Amino acid sequence: MPYLNHVAGFLMSKLVLDNVSKSYGPTRAFKNGDFALQSGEVHALMGTNGSGKSTLCKIIAGSVKPDTGSIFLNDCRVQINSPKDARRLGIGTFFQELSLAKNRSVAENIFISHLPLNNYVFIDKTALEMNAEYYIDMVRDVAGDDFTAKAVVGDLRADQQQLVEILKTIATEAQVLIFDEPTSALDRSQVERFFEILRKLKAQGRAIIFISHRMDEIFEISDQLTVIRDGAIVASRKREATTAQEVISLMVGEQTDLADPTSTSHDVSPISDGQFVVTAHDLTGDGFSEVSFEVRAGEILGFGGLHGQGQSAVLRALFGANAITRGQIQVAGDNYDGRTPRAAIRNGFAYVSGNRVRDGVIQGRSIFENTIPVHAFKKHMLLSTPSRLSRRAFEALNKLATKYHSLSSSIGSLSGGNQQKVVIARWLMDTPRVLLLDDPTKGIDLSAKADLFALIRELASEGLGIILYSSEDAELLNNSDRILVFNSGRAVRELSGENRTRFNLYDAAYEVAQ
Amino acid sequence: MPKMTKETMLGLAKQPVFVAIVLILALFAIGETMSPGFTSPDQIVRLLIVASLLGIVAAGQNLVILAGREGIDLSVGSVVSLAVIVAGNLMDGSNANIPQAVLLTICVGCLFGLFNGVGVTLLRIPPIVMTLGILGVIQGLLVVIRQGVPSGVAAPMLANFVSKPFLFGLPGILWLWAFLGLAMAFLLKRTVFGNRIYAIGSNENAAFMAGVPVKLVRIGVYVCSGFFAAVTGICLLGYSGASFANVGDQYMLTSIIAVVFGGTPLSGGKGEYTGTMLGAILLVILQSILTTINIDEFGRQIIFGGTLLVLMVFYGRGKGLRV
Repeated sequence: MPYLNHVAGFLMSKLVLDNVSKSYGPTRAFKNGDFALQSGEVHALMGTNGSGKSTLCKIIAGSVKPDTGSIFLNDCRVQINSPKDARRLGIGTFFQELSLAKNRSVAENIFISHLPLNNYVFIDKTALEMNAEYYIDMVRDVAGDDFTAKAVVGDLRADQQQLVEILKTIATEAQVLIFDEPTSALDRSQVERFFEILRKLKAQGRAIIFISHRMDEIFEISDQLTVIRDGAIVASRKREATTAQEVISLMVGEQTDLADPTSTSHDVSPISDGQFVVTAHDLTGDGFSEVSFEVRAGEILGFGGLHGQGQSAVLRALFGANAITRGQIQVAGDNYDGRTPRAAIRNGFAYVSGNRVRDGVIQGRSIFENTIPVHAFKKHMLLSTPSRLSRRAFEALNKLATKYHSLSSSIGSLSGGNQQKVVIARWLMDTPRVLLLDDPTKGIDLSAKADLFALIRELASEGLGIILYSSEDAELLNNSDRILVFNSGRAVRELSGENRTRFNLYDAAYEVAQ
Repeated sequence: MPKMTKETMLGLAKQPVFVAIVLILALFAIGETMSPGFTSPDQIVRLLIVASLLGIVAAGQNLVILAGREGIDLSVGSVVSLAVIVAGNLMDGSNANIPQAVLLTICVGCLFGLFNGVGVTLLRIPPIVMTLGILGVIQGLLVVIRQGVPSGVAAPMLANFVSKPFLFGLPGILWLWAFLGLAMAFLLKRTVFGNRIYAIGSNENAAFMAGVPVKLVRIGVYVCSGFFAAVTGICLLGYSGASFANVGDQYMLTSIIAVVFGGTPLSGGKGEYTGTMLGAILLVILQSILTTINIDEFGRQIIFGGTLLVLMVFYGRGKGLRV
């Protein structure tokens, strides 16, 4: 028998959200949540980046509290103020960012929220493992030999860890199950097994919310598809009554915000048939596989797709911060074998991360000290004398219209946008050959963004090769000459010229890599 | 205007250097009332000589702590003890032996610093464990070398350098310390190495992404720490005239306190050597007052340990970790 717990008792489950909304400060993450989830259905949520599908899931899972509206479970109004409330009501959630205890066993992870106890004190190991076996049996033949109750989760592969998270969600025996991207690391046979399990759960009368970035999966398993756009539910369709094309149209809406005129004109710029600055062939590493592309001098290549599909991982790997296990890179025609940021910098790479706090700003130090490290390294300098360096630092900062009091003031005295400009100026004291932009405008204000993209275009016209990943679709569409769309760590399609539309971006983003 | 003054006062009260100066003056006042003559010029020079010994070893400790990632060098005291023995035996009371004695002793200090640096970076052993391990190794080594009998005599020139007036009535070691103060300021402010120490201490990952050779810099600061501990050992030999057992051990705790007193948080990334110099002076005055009121070595240890913990509460921890 499965490990039945406190939630056994519901037979039918129906979840209704009535006029639910949620704002973070002035931004409304979710504004019109009329949503109904039926017993015995798999309900797919679809939307572009930042459309609010995760917010909706978090509201149901109790980790985000809505500002307005009410939630009804089986026609009873309920308050879900915490994940604990959600569990008590019979709502189980699979988290996209796996929430596993890496040093504990598979069995312990599956039952982490309700470990079987002896006399209320000690964990009953025998019962734990026996109960775990029941769930592990569900995936045993597709999970690999080392997938046992006793195996330590941290030692398992990414797909096996994802299976543990899936089993953990199922083991809650909850009546409403939320799966936010549960299949991203799974192979085909594992996905099929997971779908078999979902169908069984469905037959038992459970209600399932399913989010995936693979269109074929969505059409294979879902009964109902709900599309969210800009924080509002725009349509809900039976699977039989819709097509992938219609769903994508609903997701991106009417607006055809194709590149603005300034960037279209660049399609005919003479440099677009310039030399290849970077050629990557079959790059494979943690989070991406078989990615190939080339960047010409003077060109901005965009990396697009849903969040976290390997775009950042490829950029970091190019810069030597993440490992590359297979594949070749050529820089300006020469084979390049950089394995560290230092090697990358020597070969003319520059990397600007949107995660300033982690990768960029040297906190508590002066603007001067934040501007010069790359230059000092490239020029093999021993002394860092402001008298000699200030002018160069000053020029680089001015090029970006950085607002600061003096070079010796602390970087902490600047706004986020200006801090980011200082970090970028660091790379411009000596002109790089390749500029890698990893969501560079995250958390900076609009005018700073505009300045930044004007500068990026200018740098491109000076002959740099630029790769831009942006989590904002408009930014990506407006500023890239070509867009490489990623799904599950693979580059699935390239969009250029007239094809750079939101529709095509999402059509490709949900496409399955072959 | 009064409001302005209040704000300035508050700002100053948060400046460790200012606090250290105020405490130094207060301690001098206390010392003078308890034992008249405490602040006579001769006595102050004597205090400064003792402070310079601590100050030199604390320079290395300061660099290690500035470089962050729980950087700390617990082995400095034992390196000082070892340096006293090595230098004393090589000199054997003869001026002619000074050059090779100094050179070799410094090499020994740097070598142990290198061990620490390599252990911490390449072998990824936490600094507190690595340097504690080296401390144990050196203590064992000392027993083997000495075989229970202290040996080694300072050369007369070295003894004079430490205790006899050299220029403007001040002994050579004080001039050396003053020069070291300038050199450290130059190193930290005007060299790429110095900037890199601060950079890895404040955001190691960002520094790595900007091409800073993080491991090399970190090894460098541990080597510096070994170097300064060896220099202190040589000077200490001159101060005491002959080698004694474990004379350097006291520096482990006091060098850390001097650094923290001087305004360098244990999380690294900010702080200057000037503060550490003041911290060293402060500690030595405190030590002297404690001796005057007949508190023995163990009592002093208790007070120093307590001081470090109190300092931690005020400005030792974490601040450097945030923007």
